[in-house]
Amino acid sequence: MLINNEFNEDKIQSPLQYIWAIFKSKNIAVVAMWFIIVLVLASLFAPWFFPHSPLEQNADKMLLPPYWFEGGDINHILGTDDLGRDSLSRLFHGLQLTLGGALIITVCVSLLGMAIGASAALTKGIKASVLHHLLDALLTIPSLLSALILIAIFGPSYINCLIAISLSLLPQFIRGSFLAIEQELSKQYIVALQLDGATKLRLFRFGIMPNILEPTITIINRLFTLAVIEIATLGFLGFGAQLPQTELGSLIASSVDLIYLSPWLVTFPGITIFLVIMMANVFAEGLRHAVIEGEE
Amino acid sequence: MQSLLKISNLSRSFKHVSGLWTSYEKLAYGPVSFTLDKGQTLAIVGESGAGKSALVRTITGLLEPSSGEIHLKGQPILSLTSQQRCSSIRMIFQDPSSSLNPKMTVGKILNAPLQLNTDFDAEKRDLRIKETLKLVGLLPDYLAFYPNMLSSVQKHQVAIARAMILNPDIIIVDEILATLDISLRFKIVNLLLKIQKIKGTSYIFIAHSMHLIRHMSDHIVVLHAGKIVEKGSASIICDSPQHEQTKFLLLSHEPDYRK
Repeated sequence: MLINNEFNEDKIQSPLQYIWAIFKSKNIAVVAMWFIIVLVLASLFAPWFFPHSPLEQNADKMLLPPYWFEGGDINHILGTDDLGRDSLSRLFHGLQLTLGGALIITVCVSLLGMAIGASAALTKGIKASVLHHLLDALLTIPSLLSALILIAIFGPSYINCLIAISLSLLPQFIRGSFLAIEQELSKQYIVALQLDGATKLRLFRFGIMPNILEPTITIINRLFTLAVIEIATLGFLGFGAQLPQTELGSLIASSVDLIYLSPWLVTFPGITIFLVIMMANVFAEGLRHAVIEGEE
Repeated sequence: MQSLLKISNLSRSFKHVSGLWTSYEKLAYGPVSFTLDKGQTLAIVGESGAGKSALVRTITGLLEPSSGEIHLKGQPILSLTSQQRCSSIRMIFQDPSSSLNPKMTVGKILNAPLQLNTDFDAEKRDLRIKETLKLVGLLPDYLAFYPNMLSSVQKHQVAIARAMILNPDIIIVDEILATLDISLRFKIVNLLLKIQKIKGTSYIFIAHSMHLIRHMSDHIVVLHAGKIVEKGSASIICDSPQHEQTKFLLLSHEPDYRK
């Protein structure tokens, strides 16, 4: 094939396009990204392509093993639980609540936290120091503990569990974004933009935001990971999703008594939580490295 | 005749916290007084830590003065709007690779001051940007480039264009020549002198090389430990320095090959 270099048609890549091009060359990270996309889509559309309802009970087929074991049924690929409910559809419905809840928390907390962190970093005086030192004090309480305290106040339910986790993860995120913005404020191009007469909002949008990608990815990734773990933990402890809702943590909790009889009931939700967290971290780490390489 | 910029008894001190409750004020510079006329170049020299940077940062408005006044064209600078201030005093930073936002194209970098300080429409802004690029000797092609695609001298040219784009009265130049090698340094010096000739801009220069300062500036202010120890026209100060510090500065910048 003839490579035509007659015409200089090289496009000037924007920094984001360049970072994307680097990211695409990181195979493992791309695989992780697709894995997460597929998981999200699968859990969103689970009701449409799983033959069984997660609540459908079947007294004839109780505690079936996965189909590749002796006595398994091809209609129930991952087997059934003690009420004859299909494990695979329960897994995906559980994923819907765990992964979906974690994504909602991540989006809400990162938008709110970034706004508060930015206003704390960009303003001076009492407001900034209240925001900053009050939240520092909140950071001394472990986030899971503060989530538990909030649940005790609100009462256990899935929505309350999401709110409690959001509130308990918010101080960490604000702290992270505050530090990232604070560090960026001392850069000379920000000072130059200030001398151009830029307002705080413009300073944030054009000066700071494009340049704090790397720390932002790190804190968002940590936020997502912690959200998944905390939703599952609260579910396991019975403070999160209430019956008949299925959630990965509560799935484990409900079958923990049967662990010797049919260990796969506990194994598969556990593996799913593990995979979600690992893939999210591999994806975020790949993205972070692409950003670092793109910026140097 | 009224001078363009008049600095009277300006000083700035910083608070240093020394204990749990106690703090002391440390004087960065001052009180200093000097004037600058249209089309003139004033050089501020001094050893590092003499307060040069703090002084120019106060003039640009990045720092508040602790005492003293700055008058621009006879008006106290606090009475001006930030737009007026931005468009009459501009600053060129020491290192253009850190003063140009890596995530913005040259076009956007040059567009920002126009957008914020003038009421030009897009077409007029575009025209002004191209004029300014031509003035600093860059092709309009560079508008779509990101700063990391430019060579260091081109970055300097962009930084100068950013300072020039509002047609300011005063440009503050903070040691920009230190990072360039000798031939490029002369290119930038000549560019600055050419701009001064065409536009009649005044410069406040911070530089280390006394020979360049003598070549470029009309007046010199020597700062030592925050105080002005000597000021006067460039040729007089360079030929017959009175203060020890000035002599020392002149001596330390004497190139080896002349000895």
